[in-house]
Amino acid sequence: MSDEHSALDPAVQYLVTEAKRPVTVDAAARERLLEVVRAEPRPRRDVPVVAWLVSPKRFALPPLATIAAAAGLVGIGVVGGYLINRDGRAPTERPQGAVVASQLPDSSPSRAIKFVLVAPQASRVSVVGDFNGWDAAATPAMRQPDGSWTTFVTLEPGRHVYSFVIDGAHFVADPEAPIAPDDGYGHRNSVVVVRGASS
Amino acid sequence: MKSVLTGLASLLVVLASPAALAAQVGGRDPLQRLEPAVRYKVELLIDSAKIYGLPTPPLVSRALEGMSKRADDRKILAEVTREFRFLRDARVALGPQVSTSELTAAAGALRLGISQSELAQLARSRTDKVLTIPLVVLSDLISRGVPRDTASTTIYQLFQRGAADDDFLGLWRGVERDIDSGTDPGQALLNRAREIPARSPGAPPASTGRPDISETQDR
Amino acid sequence: MSDAADVQRVLDGDVDAFARLVDRYYERCARFAVRMLGNRDDAEDALQATFVRAYRSLGKYQERDKFSAWLYRILVNQCRSIASRRSQRERVFIREEAVLLNAPDRSTSWTGEDEELVQRVLAELDPLLREAFLLKHVEDMSYEEMSALTGVGVSALKMRVKRACDRLKTRWEYIKDE
Repeated sequence: MSDEHSALDPAVQYLVTEAKRPVTVDAAARERLLEVVRAEPRPRRDVPVVAWLVSPKRFALPPLATIAAAAGLVGIGVVGGYLINRDGRAPTERPQGAVVASQLPDSSPSRAIKFVLVAPQASRVSVVGDFNGWDAAATPAMRQPDGSWTTFVTLEPGRHVYSFVIDGAHFVADPEAPIAPDDGYGHRNSVVVVRGASS
Repeated sequence: MKSVLTGLASLLVVLASPAALAAQVGGRDPLQRLEPAVRYKVELLIDSAKIYGLPTPPLVSRALEGMSKRADDRKILAEVTREFRFLRDARVALGPQVSTSELTAAAGALRLGISQSELAQLARSRTDKVLTIPLVVLSDLISRGVPRDTASTTIYQLFQRGAADDDFLGLWRGVERDIDSGTDPGQALLNRAREIPARSPGAPPASTGRPDISETQDR
Repeated sequence: MSDAADVQRVLDGDVDAFARLVDRYYERCARFAVRMLGNRDDAEDALQATFVRAYRSLGKYQERDKFSAWLYRILVNQCRSIASRRSQRERVFIREEAVLLNAPDRSTSWTGEDEELVQRVLAELDPLLREAFLLKHVEDMSYEEMSALTGVGVSALKMRVKRACDRLKTRWEYIKDE
């Protein structure tokens, strides 16, 4: 990378010189500012002292599926979107999946989408996609007694691309969902369209 | 019961948001794991996208996808570049008043060989309907083996005749089922397309006695 | 009168000490805000919000930090939040290869043709690049200071500044011949 002190291109140097010129300041604006400040309550020292530069923390969440189950949201029909509920179908060797749009009150534009993959041989399954940075650790699915794996993701209305990951290594498209155009990386992805206010 | 569900549902949304947000952004610096020379070029593409008024999340997402799938950095750069070009070409074809979803769906169709003029034709006949689902269905059908011209012409005609999102989804579901049971893909599409009645654009779909696509399909 | 001493005076009840702090930093902050946001109205909003917020949180300022860096952190965030509240401009495509960029906001009183051109080429930069460029070359901050201020790593900041310079060079060549 360029050294901090290396010379700038002449054109850029010119721009810097010009940009460094003072701007004319509206004296009235400054007066207004001071009036506003004087009207404020007096600031007080903070006790205890807090560092003003804090790095953002990642939040660890409990598995959403547990909350959803507790809330009784699992298995509430379909609103919009294309669902295939594969209850009656016997599991085959080919992994099966389904995306279910569960009902949320209309005031919320995002929807909790249930992702399901039938993969009884798997040790771990997660969903990756454009909504979680394709991070296999972000959205793990929970194994159900029947050998299916489920998780919920809250998605904004619109088109989203995703895949399942089995055992941290095998990318598997959702066999029940529309096929996304070639990902360019040698794996097939799936598409979910969440219907709602803006898509 | 309703108020309990509402409360828990909003809890669900509230709890989900920070992770979704942080994950969408990929942490503070999603591209930091890329080799510097490649990252520089990816970021130049992102800048160009902003200047062109293109959405940048699909580009970042392509890069993150490549990292997740263990592609090498050169490959990732190549894919982000392709995505940029398809998005730009989609924007030219569809015009400025389109949502990100329509744009990414259109970019997907371009990847599969649909031309800009076919996209522009679709855009011209849209009235206020959104193109996302027709384009997603079009892309899927081509990926399943429906010849490109057949898929493109059929989808366009349906759209022009007023087919709604539910019609396209039903069509897609039926064609998928038929292909699975051995029907020639192009033929499957033509058969199913005939089942969709013409509607005047903007009119709600009339009940046709076909099974609701939201019901469990009996296969 | 050092900045830290003035801060203590304000906390002890002397509001005029704050007026001194404002005097010391207002013009510099105004220049950054105008270059960053491209118009005077938004810059004034940013300045007011910055100093009011600084006043309110003076209790959190710690003597070991440079006051200017602390103040600039507030200023940079205010500029970002004002920029994001402005509505998206329409972008129009004429030809496949050409993009018509909207002219930046015009304020009522610019002095000199060159200032307008400079402002215009700055406005064409992506906001994060513009911000890094201004902090480094106009505010003459070190990368370490910038990193503490923005929360972004030093190498990422260096990359942004480099890209900003590359882009400025290209756009300036193009614009000055118009």
